[in-house]
Amino acid sequence: MPLIDPSVVDLSRLQFALTALYHFIFVPLTLGMTFLLAAMETVYVITGKQIYKDMTQFWGKLFAINFAIGVATGLTMEFEFGTNWSMYSHFVGDVFGTPLAIEGLMAFFMESTFIGLMFFGWDRLSKPGHLAVTYLTALGSNLSALWILIANGFMQNPQGASFNPDTMRMEFNSFLNLVFSEDAQAKFVHTSIAGFVTGALFVMGISAFYILRKQHREFAARSFRMAALFGVISSLAVVTLGDALGRLDYLVQPTKIAAIEGLWQDSDAGGSAAAAPWLVFALPNQATQTNSVEIGIPYVLDPLIAHSFSTNIPGLISLEQQAGPRIEKGITALNALQAYGKDHDTAALATFKANESDMGYGFLAQRYAPNQDLSLITPANQDAVVAQAEKDTIPNVFVTFWSFRIMMALGFYFVALFAFAAFFSLRNRLERNPFLLKLCVWSIPLPVLACEFGWITAEAGRQPWSVYGWLPTFQAASSHGVGYMVFSLLGFALLYSVFIAAELYLMFKFARLGPQPHHAAAPEAAAAPMFAAPAE
Amino acid sequence: MGKLFTFIGLGLVLALALLLAVVAGDYGPWYFAWMVGTVMIVLIAGCGAVLFDSQHEKGNGEI
Repeated sequence: MPLIDPSVVDLSRLQFALTALYHFIFVPLTLGMTFLLAAMETVYVITGKQIYKDMTQFWGKLFAINFAIGVATGLTMEFEFGTNWSMYSHFVGDVFGTPLAIEGLMAFFMESTFIGLMFFGWDRLSKPGHLAVTYLTALGSNLSALWILIANGFMQNPQGASFNPDTMRMEFNSFLNLVFSEDAQAKFVHTSIAGFVTGALFVMGISAFYILRKQHREFAARSFRMAALFGVISSLAVVTLGDALGRLDYLVQPTKIAAIEGLWQDSDAGGSAAAAPWLVFALPNQATQTNSVEIGIPYVLDPLIAHSFSTNIPGLISLEQQAGPRIEKGITALNALQAYGKDHDTAALATFKANESDMGYGFLAQRYAPNQDLSLITPANQDAVVAQAEKDTIPNVFVTFWSFRIMMALGFYFVALFAFAAFFSLRNRLERNPFLLKLCVWSIPLPVLACEFGWITAEAGRQPWSVYGWLPTFQAASSHGVGYMVFSLLGFALLYSVFIAAELYLMFKFARLGPQPHHAAAPEAAAAPMFAAPAE
Repeated sequence: MGKLFTFIGLGLVLALALLLAVVAGDYGPWYFAWMVGTVMIVLIAGCGAVLFDSQHEKGNGEI
């Protein structure tokens, strides 16, 4: 099988990265806002106070603008798997397609249906009925994310499937293993809660804007209070889940965790694994396999990554060397697979089965094989091929290292910001702290930025694999021409620029307009609380 | 009769929640944590609003 033009692979990666990162500008807000709306409406239903209905409706309007554009940008990505990643779709379509289909059929339809009821059902549904719809909308939006993240969990840590040499693709052997994979679980919770943080800071920031301008005070103060409490717990949870994901990466993707930490040598290279520093700042140099500058805190790395004081964490150089024998076995596996494909020779099948777990590493050798044909690798040239392929087994360390640090720094910033916001809100001292309020306004886009850097860490750190250990990214793309890729990339850039301009225009317009004037007395009298005592 | 149906409906929701909790707790501890945690986050945010109303009724209008 000839290799795909590297420029096409790079352009396909760029296109997917741009469309995915763009899509993820909208997703976290949807995930978080729905549950925040549910919280507001719960208070409305229980207390019967009109202001909470106004809050639900106003923030719901901003949520709707975001949701509409988020859905449109998500759909294109599903098509990209088929158009730009056809080898990937062939190889793991049996496994990957299932969660994607469930997402479309179950979660997406559920979410869309209930969103319609949520917006148009205020006068048609009972109060508890409408509240149930709001909760189902929140559940539906998070279930959408769940199935996508289950699919992504498979790419990070393939479980629940095995390779079939007759069909030449991965096929299901356990749906439950796929759904309950630890990677999928931790990733879903981390992503969903990161959305909660985004939603909370969005509401808190705009409320802070109103408080600073002395507009809609009652409305803004309540919104601020709810968002601050929602955010303080969510931000703590997101940090906890980040630690769980890091621990999982250490166990199943050692190259990613070593790249995240800029760890070229083993952690015990200095004599003691426990004393290894956690690098706050470094300039990783892929060519020399060193860090040009390093500033670290000793005795932090080991407990942080391995939750231990005595475990050696392998560095990138060791991991590269460990890949050598796997590449050799992978070459044997792929040559046996080719022989089996010709005449179904049982001896070839047995050889393949014995080396199957390293098949993906064989693909890595293909680009360095004579004429890019693995069958032309001989004992004489194998060492040279393997030595070149070994270098490809580690990700881009600079990108992974820094994207992780930016995400993490923002995560801790959110914990501090929400803690102060909740503290001053609970003490009714917000108006005395204009600096905090201004900080809340300016921080509105930061959770989205943190989510984007989180995804860059996860996906850049997974390289060179599209499915970890099984399928390299350069083997997964479609064999398009460069012109096609450039044309479609420009089309996406143009279209998405229009979308983001529309989104920002509408968001700013409706946020500046604010809620409709609130008349507390009359509607409150009309709206009976759900659990009110019967009238005398 | 209406109250009876409400009681039965809420009872079914409770039974379903317990079943989900048992299955998720056994097979998906992080999923379970998400379910419990999300409910907790929503309830605490709601309590914050109720507390605000209570403080506001007694306070001087400062926010």
